[in-house]
Amino acid sequence: MFHTLRTVLELTKMAISEKGNGRTIAEINQKIKTGDIQVLTAEEMKNLVESSGVEVAYKEVDVVTTGTFGAMCSSGAIINIGHSDPPIKIQRAWINDVEVSHPGAAVDLYIGATMMSETEPFEYGGGHVIEDLIAGKEVELRATSQGTDCYPRTKLDTTLTKDDLNQFYLLNFRNCYQRYVCATNSRDEIIYTYMGKLLPRFRNASYSGAGALNPLMNDPDYETIGVGTRIFLGGAQGYVIGEGTQHDPTNRFGTMMVRGDCKKMSPEFISGGAFTKYGTSLYVGIGIPIPILNEGLAKKTALRDEEIFTDIVDYGVPRRERPKLGKVNYATLKSGEVTINGRTIKVSSLSSLKKARKIAETLKSWIENGSFYLSAPAETLPTDSVCNPMKQTDEITFVNRVAHEAVICRVDEDIKAVAQRIISKSVNHVVVTDKGGEIKGMVTSWDVTRAVAEGKSKLADIITKKVFTTRPDESVEAASRKMAQHHISALPVVDRDKKVVGLITSEDISKLRGR
Amino acid sequence: MKKVDRILLRFSGAIVEEPITAQVILELGIPIRIVTATVNSLGGDILIEVPAIHLKKIVKAFRDKGVIVKFPKLIEVDYDKCFDCGACYALCPVDAISFDEDHSVVFDEKTCIGSPCGLCVDACPARAIKLVEQHRNNPK
Repeated sequence: MFHTLRTVLELTKMAISEKGNGRTIAEINQKIKTGDIQVLTAEEMKNLVESSGVEVAYKEVDVVTTGTFGAMCSSGAIINIGHSDPPIKIQRAWINDVEVSHPGAAVDLYIGATMMSETEPFEYGGGHVIEDLIAGKEVELRATSQGTDCYPRTKLDTTLTKDDLNQFYLLNFRNCYQRYVCATNSRDEIIYTYMGKLLPRFRNASYSGAGALNPLMNDPDYETIGVGTRIFLGGAQGYVIGEGTQHDPTNRFGTMMVRGDCKKMSPEFISGGAFTKYGTSLYVGIGIPIPILNEGLAKKTALRDEEIFTDIVDYGVPRRERPKLGKVNYATLKSGEVTINGRTIKVSSLSSLKKARKIAETLKSWIENGSFYLSAPAETLPTDSVCNPMKQTDEITFVNRVAHEAVICRVDEDIKAVAQRIISKSVNHVVVTDKGGEIKGMVTSWDVTRAVAEGKSKLADIITKKVFTTRPDESVEAASRKMAQHHISALPVVDRDKKVVGLITSEDISKLRGR
Repeated sequence: MKKVDRILLRFSGAIVEEPITAQVILELGIPIRIVTATVNSLGGDILIEVPAIHLKKIVKAFRDKGVIVKFPKLIEVDYDKCFDCGACYALCPVDAISFDEDHSVVFDEKTCIGSPCGLCVDACPARAIKLVEQHRNNPK
């Protein structure tokens, strides 16, 4: 409702500006036709505004081009492979061993970017199938069906290239995030995420996005972007077809849904990607031309990396709300170094700034040479919607609900004292801490028994120093997976400062399951 | 910084027990930096860094003592596959990966330490980085 109203307002505004001051898209297209058009990339626009001011920039510049090239998992391609003889109504299908889904009738298939090969999972997936097809390579299709009176065929094996497809359209339901977070990892182990490989104990970080070159960031109120906006998509002309899923404009995390003809695209701007132990994705190149219809847009397209902030987020905590460790701007991120907890570490980009620049430049040249005309959206992207979390019907239990108080000892204590405590408290695990309560190790009843058998008297000789731990806000499921993985029966619960706040044992978890 | 060169020393089982590296250093009086070493009683590979101006002398000294000397390629980057994201950049412990002016990713093969590390390899979403394994008895 709101954005319909907004569209009316926009149209009125455009009508007014047609008469008086301001620029219209029709005027801009006329200038493209006569070759009289002034186009700058977003980076050039920032320099111009800085040197000559917004007013001059608005007068001189008609269009600002943007660009981004990054992993966009919610991507895929719809293909129609034509009817076989006898015909088949495909139930399940695989291309190069990647399962593709069958969202409609008979022979329409959707190649999802994150679907992984059954023979080469994590290395080859839907994103690579799309890239291979665009590159002109031949792929193998296999399909099965139950067979019907009108579609009797039950099995299909064939090869295809893009020329054999009736339609081959990129249909991405969430692309081009306005900005994204900077990821790091507090855990004691390497984790592999969709934000790349994160080394233990905050030893590196990663980020994504082109910052000041990002398409949505240059028109943050979506004055010119919406259904029907013509864009650069994968090296060809494509369209915005609406807001993307999880579009979250109020938090400056806008997204778009896009469509484009893959047959015209280039593998230079569409690439499969593989994230170790996470899965496959599709790298998509997108560029949006921002028509400078008013002075406000001239000012907005002058936004600099220094002004775009994002959160540094701890991906070591596998929860929906991950801990935020601070804020950082894109100028710092692009410098390659970021400071976390007072320590400066290197930060990697997962998206390509080089390609983002090339996209903005290419789009600029298309407009200058008259091969790309701008289009006004039929309806702009919503500016007031929110992205809600999932409604869950099953209750998730977290470690703090199940853990109990830990029995504690100090490194310099006598083994005998520890043995007595094990008996008096009737426990199997004692957590070793320093004076401040920070974890230093673990001792089990088995360790004490072995010490007696081997005649050891010093506690320090029998402590297990490298201890796997959990946190109060970790799910019990994650904690129990950790125990199973490392063949252990208890995990000390520690807070962010490594102070011991409890203990969770496999017994606690069994009790929970038995309830 | 003085220019340095990297060479790979390959010791057979017959000579691996000898303190050859130490002998060369003492005889020539030239400092040698050991970058990585994989050695056992069957033989071993030692990657060393030497002052470029003394390269010839050092190579000769090792060869005279029966050591196979190679100029190793530790890493192979497929620049056709690489799309210059830089996911590898922050993982490199020796700062061998950087960006040039147009934001292309650049590998300094002379700084890379190769197979004992390899942190960047599985972080590359384009799968463009390969370690060149320095297998012993490789006829290459």
